[in-house]
Amino acid sequence: MVILINGIKKEKIMGRSSILKSIKENKPTLISLPEIDVNSFEEAINLLETFKKNVESVGGSIKELDQIQDLDLEIKNCYPNAKRIFSQISESALGNVQISEQTKPKDLENLDLAILKGVFGVAENGAIWISDEQFSIRILPFITNDLVLILQKKDLCLHMHQAYKIIASRERTFGLFISGPSKTADIEQCLVIGAQGAMSLTIFLV
Amino acid sequence: MSHAKLAEIFNKDEAKVNWHDKALWYVREKRDTAAHNVKGWEYLRDLASGIKANVLSNLDNYLVEFEKNAQSNGIEVHWASNAEEHNEIVYKILMQNNATKVVKSKSMLTEECHLNPYLESKGIEVIDTDLGERIVQLAKEPPSHIVLPAIHKTKEEIDVLFQEHLGTKPSNGDPQYLTNEARKHLRDKFLKADVAITGVNFAIAETGGFVVCTNEGNADMGVHLSKVHIACMGIEKIIPKEEHLGVFLRLLARSATGQPITTYSSHFNKPAPGNVMHVVIVDNGRTEQLSREDFRSSLSCIRCGACMNTCPIYRRSGGYSYNATIPGPIGSILSPGMDMKKHSSLPFASTLCGSCSNVCPVKINIHEQLYKWRQIITKEQKQPIVKNTILKITGMVLARPKLYAAFGISVRWMLKYAPRFMVYSKLNAWGKARELPKVENGNFDQWYKKRKNNG
Repeated sequence: MVILINGIKKEKIMGRSSILKSIKENKPTLISLPEIDVNSFEEAINLLETFKKNVESVGGSIKELDQIQDLDLEIKNCYPNAKRIFSQISESALGNVQISEQTKPKDLENLDLAILKGVFGVAENGAIWISDEQFSIRILPFITNDLVLILQKKDLCLHMHQAYKIIASRERTFGLFISGPSKTADIEQCLVIGAQGAMSLTIFLV
Repeated sequence: MSHAKLAEIFNKDEAKVNWHDKALWYVREKRDTAAHNVKGWEYLRDLASGIKANVLSNLDNYLVEFEKNAQSNGIEVHWASNAEEHNEIVYKILMQNNATKVVKSKSMLTEECHLNPYLESKGIEVIDTDLGERIVQLAKEPPSHIVLPAIHKTKEEIDVLFQEHLGTKPSNGDPQYLTNEARKHLRDKFLKADVAITGVNFAIAETGGFVVCTNEGNADMGVHLSKVHIACMGIEKIIPKEEHLGVFLRLLARSATGQPITTYSSHFNKPAPGNVMHVVIVDNGRTEQLSREDFRSSLSCIRCGACMNTCPIYRRSGGYSYNATIPGPIGSILSPGMDMKKHSSLPFASTLCGSCSNVCPVKINIHEQLYKWRQIITKEQKQPIVKNTILKITGMVLARPKLYAAFGISVRWMLKYAPRFMVYSKLNAWGKARELPKVENGNFDQWYKKRKNNG
């Protein structure tokens, strides 16, 4: 396979063409792609209650706010020791860390708290979609010690099929479903919250 | 060494085997609870199976579509026919970036290609960043389970390991303390790394993007702190459309650990400004498996590990008894395709109970494929004389009802009256390490007739 005529590039093409050739020779006759019948997953359940229950089951916390004006007070109650705070929402004035184009991911090493907007939540698993538009640097939701997401109560969907419909027309760069804080059970199956990513996740529902 | 011999080694520590068995069964039970909470779960499994069948029948076109879309998003795509090519491609990228420190998140493919020893031999530091993988890396062992790499280790063993390598204090194996110390240790490695390597859970032909799932956040910590991201995937990781992620992400974590979804399901479509992203697409025996009609559906596997957690053999013999990158039932149908001689005992490491097929989220008929491998292997590989002879005699007896009845009478007589050394001899594997049941008078046939006459 490694016939080096023109160096590296030739070798790469060899790998590609031999793999594709081998697949063509070995694959079965075409089997049609099934359509997803989303009606099979319809359930008459309370989206908000299901979402709240699932967020708690994955180790996250939920705080319901009567009015958005209470946000900063509530965040301070939850995270009284947070000093270095980054906020990317206009409703919070707690932010004291700036992120610019010059900011390197490593500069956020000691960030205590990040406050971001969640785009929408998924009731079936307590996950929230966030993407490059909600955080100005990709490392942010992971490197911060604690993470706060603000979510509108109305922005909930039932399951992942609906979720992918909602994000179908986004500009695709980087985004994620985040469900609770970072965790591991790699030591004797004991669940420990706070592995390599954020140690806690609090969702403020407005 | 055969599976049975290696299983014997694992079974020397009975308390540990019992713990291992129960811990994995507990994960299986969590999987059941999670599955029962989803309306249309069986339909989801059907969909996943159907989508994967379509993928395998159109794989070349999907790979080309993926490549084109990924490239138009600024991702560099590489192709590797085998493990050596894969390792060389990764090393070349490291050299182009003057990289000496690499952080890696979980990827069974890079285990399969033995990437770590290869890079280490070139003077590169490779740190596995999944906690379980870091534990086995420090212990200089391979993972024993694809989702729970250190499931074979006790917390006390991990405590000692961390004292030696991370300078931790003795804690009697406090998971909270040990995890926190690992967090500090890995944080430092993330901050100093030049390149991050990840696996790929799903690559989407339609968009040229890919998804990486973790609970710890280690893949993202590595990727977003490094300038260079290398994602390594087997050719079978492709799915046609992004909407299919809805099906697979609902199944994956529930089947793996009973969680409704992993903590982080990260969708990579474009590198961050100023950064580079590479995808390495690897064959390494997969197209050969594709050619085997009876076994090709094993390529549908999404690596959830549910078949391991439920398997009565895996739970009691441990991952190392399989001596393969992917252990357990799915590994036992994948590995003989890579090296039949080395892995010839694996399809026999099963009771053929079918529990693996019942929990498989993509409905691979694992136990049927195990049975099919047995037929091929007994034809092509020399079997032990004792086994051959006994099976021949058994076949003869089973084909002759009168002989069978006579045999039954004599076996029952033997079990009742023959001395222990005869009943529990080497020829009787069923008498190994356990007491045979007490023999009652008569057989089922006699009991049934008597019952009918009385009734």
